[in-house]
Amino acid sequence: MARAIATLWSVSIGALLLLLASSLPATDASTVQAVEIDQATLHTLQSRYRSLSKQLSQLMPSQAYIVVDTARNHLYIKRRDQVMLDALASTGSGTILDKPGEAKGQWIFDTPRGEFTVQSKLTNPVWVRPDWAFIEEGLAVPKTAAGRIEPGVLGEYALGFGRGYFIHGTLYPRLLGKNVTHGCIRLNDEDLKSVYRLARVGTPIMIF
Amino acid sequence: MLRRSASFVRFFVLLLLSTLPAGATESENVFGIDLNDPTALQEATRILAEEVKLAARPQTYVIVDLVDHAVMIKGRGAELHRFPIEQWSASHLAEVSTTVRLQARPPVTRRKIEPSAGGDQLPVSLDDMPTDFTLTFSPSFLLAVHPSATADFWRWLRFTLREWWAWLQNWTRRLATGKEPPSQPVLRLTLTPHHAQSLAWTVTEGMPFLIRRTSPAPP
Repeated sequence: MARAIATLWSVSIGALLLLLASSLPATDASTVQAVEIDQATLHTLQSRYRSLSKQLSQLMPSQAYIVVDTARNHLYIKRRDQVMLDALASTGSGTILDKPGEAKGQWIFDTPRGEFTVQSKLTNPVWVRPDWAFIEEGLAVPKTAAGRIEPGVLGEYALGFGRGYFIHGTLYPRLLGKNVTHGCIRLNDEDLKSVYRLARVGTPIMIF
Repeated sequence: MLRRSASFVRFFVLLLLSTLPAGATESENVFGIDLNDPTALQEATRILAEEVKLAARPQTYVIVDLVDHAVMIKGRGAELHRFPIEQWSASHLAEVSTTVRLQARPPVTRRKIEPSAGGDQLPVSLDDMPTDFTLTFSPSFLLAVHPSATADFWRWLRFTLREWWAWLQNWTRRLATGKEPPSQPVLRLTLTPHHAQSLAWTVTEGMPFLIRRTSPAPP
């Protein structure tokens, strides 16, 4: 009797497993259906493919462009697929700071992602400290613009890419390679100089 | 003197070559496919037509290339970063024939700066990103990312059980109602934990994705 129950149980489990396995989602190698086309259509398709390949190639920046990898904290200057400069950088920390007096207002210190362009090139830039720079240190926000000016902290050059974000120097080179900034991109003096020389106003900056 | 001139000429030629645009052959077949294979050609043409539209705008986008087993982050047609796909499986992927846009990034716990606390405050880093997540797209498409069993057995097991549970629910529903449940295209990618975290870090809300699908092996 016990043997009969055990056999029945085994058969039921086996059948269930077989049923489950046969209905499992496909882990297939192909995901498009094979097509058959005549020679004329093939020629048309080949011409379109070549034309699109060319168009894509023409959309690539013809001059040097800047690539910033915020995950690994590197800045590259590339021309086509060639890397002309690989620099260790510091990018946004991703931390948040509450805006005082606003129930839901917050600053998020991320380096923006996407495509930008160099909008300005400055020598001996001066940092005009925004509100958050005082608030995060527990200081009172100055009432006059003069109280916000801090020279010598951004290095010898700065390249602006919009909404107050810059590629600039740092007083803390030991933090290069880490996500520590408020969204700007920091470089050491030597790399900053190279970027300043190689980039022009209008140079694309691709940040991911 | 002669040797010096020769090395100068060689340097000059190299310099000239490095500044020349890519060759015509390379730029006319970006995927390096067999142009006589109609299925591969049709799929590559579809991807190119979509990519040309994406590359014409100032944005970054992702191509999941199932033929080359790679995920590429691109901008203006230039490859910014690439990482390999260890394994993949898919269902109803034939329905994903256009650009899909990401609805939301994987969640990450951001640390709050306490002005009164002082001292160093820990930033968000790549290590904070998940290794096992599902991205939802519009039009309807799911991209499930998980680590391999060898890299992280427990996460892999959790992912596999979740997949089985979803499948079992669908199967039960089909059995009870006698109707096929609405299908949704799903792509499951197995990545190393580091690459899964890289993908989670990189993606932003509304980011366009293109999926290059494989063709059946020729008879």
